Amino acid sequence: MTITGELRGSRPRRTPPRLRITSLEVLCVLLVVALVFQDWLVAALDVPVLRTASTVFVAVCVQAMPFLVLGVLISGAIAAFVPASALRRLLPKKTALAVPVAGVAGVALPGCECASVPVARRLMQQGVAPAVALSFLLAAPAVNPIVLVSTAVAFRDAPMMVPARFVGSLLTAVVMGWLWTRFGKSEWIAERALRRLPDDDGRSRWAVFAETARHDLVEAGGFLVLGGVFAAAFNVLVPAAWMETLGAQLVLGILVMALLAVVLALCSEADAFVAVSMSALPLLPRLVFLVVGPAVDVKLIALQAGAFGRSFAARFAPMTFVVAILSALGAGAVFL
Amino acid sequence: MRRETQNILLVLLGGALLKLALTGTYLRYVKESLQPWLVATGAIMILLAVVAIVKDLSDGRREEAQAGSHAEAHAESHAASHAESHAQARPEGHVAAPAAVHHDGHEHSSRSPWMLLLPVLAVFLISPPALGADTVNRSDRNAAQQSKAGSGFAPLPDDRVIPLTITEFVTRTAWDDSGSLNDRTVKLTGFVVRKEQNVYLARLTISCCAADAAPVKALMVGQDFSALPTDQWVEATGRVVPGSATKDTAYVPTFTVGEVTPIVPPEDTYEG
Repeated sequence: MTITGELRGSRPRRTPPRLRITSLEVLCVLLVVALVFQDWLVAALDVPVLRTASTVFVAVCVQAMPFLVLGVLISGAIAAFVPASALRRLLPKKTALAVPVAGVAGVALPGCECASVPVARRLMQQGVAPAVALSFLLAAPAVNPIVLVSTAVAFRDAPMMVPARFVGSLLTAVVMGWLWTRFGKSEWIAERALRRLPDDDGRSRWAVFAETARHDLVEAGGFLVLGGVFAAAFNVLVPAAWMETLGAQLVLGILVMALLAVVLALCSEADAFVAVSMSALPLLPRLVFLVVGPAVDVKLIALQAGAFGRSFAARFAPMTFVVAILSALGAGAVFL
Repeated sequence: MRRETQNILLVLLGGALLKLALTGTYLRYVKESLQPWLVATGAIMILLAVVAIVKDLSDGRREEAQAGSHAEAHAESHAASHAESHAQARPEGHVAAPAAVHHDGHEHSSRSPWMLLLPVLAVFLISPPALGADTVNRSDRNAAQQSKAGSGFAPLPDDRVIPLTITEFVTRTAWDDSGSLNDRTVKLTGFVVRKEQNVYLARLTISCCAADAAPVKALMVGQDFSALPTDQWVEATGRVVPGSATKDTAYVPTFTVGEVTPIVPPEDTYEG
């Protein structure tokens, strides 16, 4: 840096300053263009399908942002106030044992899946084994008390749905954690997600907290919005009528409900109410819907690709999808 | 993307959430109970951005002062170039640790924050309307569920005209064996939906946000509704056709309308 500085310095180049187009200028231009073409934009979107899609898009973003903010605040607090050594003391030494512990610890994070991604990534950076952090990531959105209570309220007529969902989701998280312990390679995870934080770099803890939270929010927020775009698109493109005719075809019903959980990207606190309204289907496909949804959906895949890299998401998401279906079937066989 | 741009986007997004929450527009997208969370979320976003901006400014000032003291010892052009190299190095130089994570991100690899502009533009410029007839027609199911009947039906008041939600109207017609609605005049509020030749009075119910909206509807008969445009909000009084909500009709009851008046849409267009 200094060298280039000196070299450049040898040339007298004070004026004129080179015009650099940075993101700041691009943003200003974009905003002005959007304002100028506002009427045109509104008119272009005034088609029923696009109107519905844009409403769903804003709804997904607005609904998820509070949870994402909760997640980045927790993530910032872990970075600033919980030293890596404390986490290591808290968790069992053997990864195989720490995985179920992390899964059960998911009970303590009441939020939907958007909150758990930044937290899991922060845990990895603080030296928690990836398998353990991933198992927390999968468990937290599905087994926390808020989700279980809303499931109980929705399925008043089938109370066994609650333990079935709890066990199915926890099983998914623990099995994925163990699979990652056995087969996972750390090079699949983007290097930035694993970079260790120095324990103390002289800055005040509050500064670390604010900066970490801000940075996580900007990064993950972008991916959350991307997920919202997909969810809105699928919401209008997938004909809801088509799955309502599936009726009694059990195998097809299970597959379609699993795929639907992925593309609809519903909040884990709301999906039970959607599942209960699909009364044409037997309980088992609906359980699959509830177990798959919080573990893998388009919003979550976008967030994971952002936090851990694309090559991670490309392996983790399909695997989770399969494991979640099998776990749900297992839990369903026991409880339903 | 530069930190400055990220901070501006955060302020805009936080502002968009505050605008939704404080003007009541948020009811088009989410449930009423989310309002305090939206206010807090918007405020936190703006706060985080402001903290970062203030910090950058004070860091910048300190570096300028350092560059300035440098200039006294060196030639003028030299100092200027130093200041420039400092300025360029700044994103790398002054942020350590977690912020260092965002280096991989700066300017080139991280384009994801640009996506934050989409909801900002959608909220400030487009302000999408509440869901309506288009969503109702995307689904054949009628969301009023049998499970809701499990808790039993409270007796209806003795008023001449009973205001009911469409959800309750559908549930009672389909699952209340006592026929509590027969020969009673009820008043329903909803919007007009057309499918094929039929005209329906419909509402959407949401349990978390508009993405999980599910329709409830009743088939309107008894007069000519062609003057009413689709998506027009109306209050309709009339009587149910007993036993009209069965499996064959997908639990959509038939509603014989006596009187129908157009109204302005309620602030919260969703039921339940």
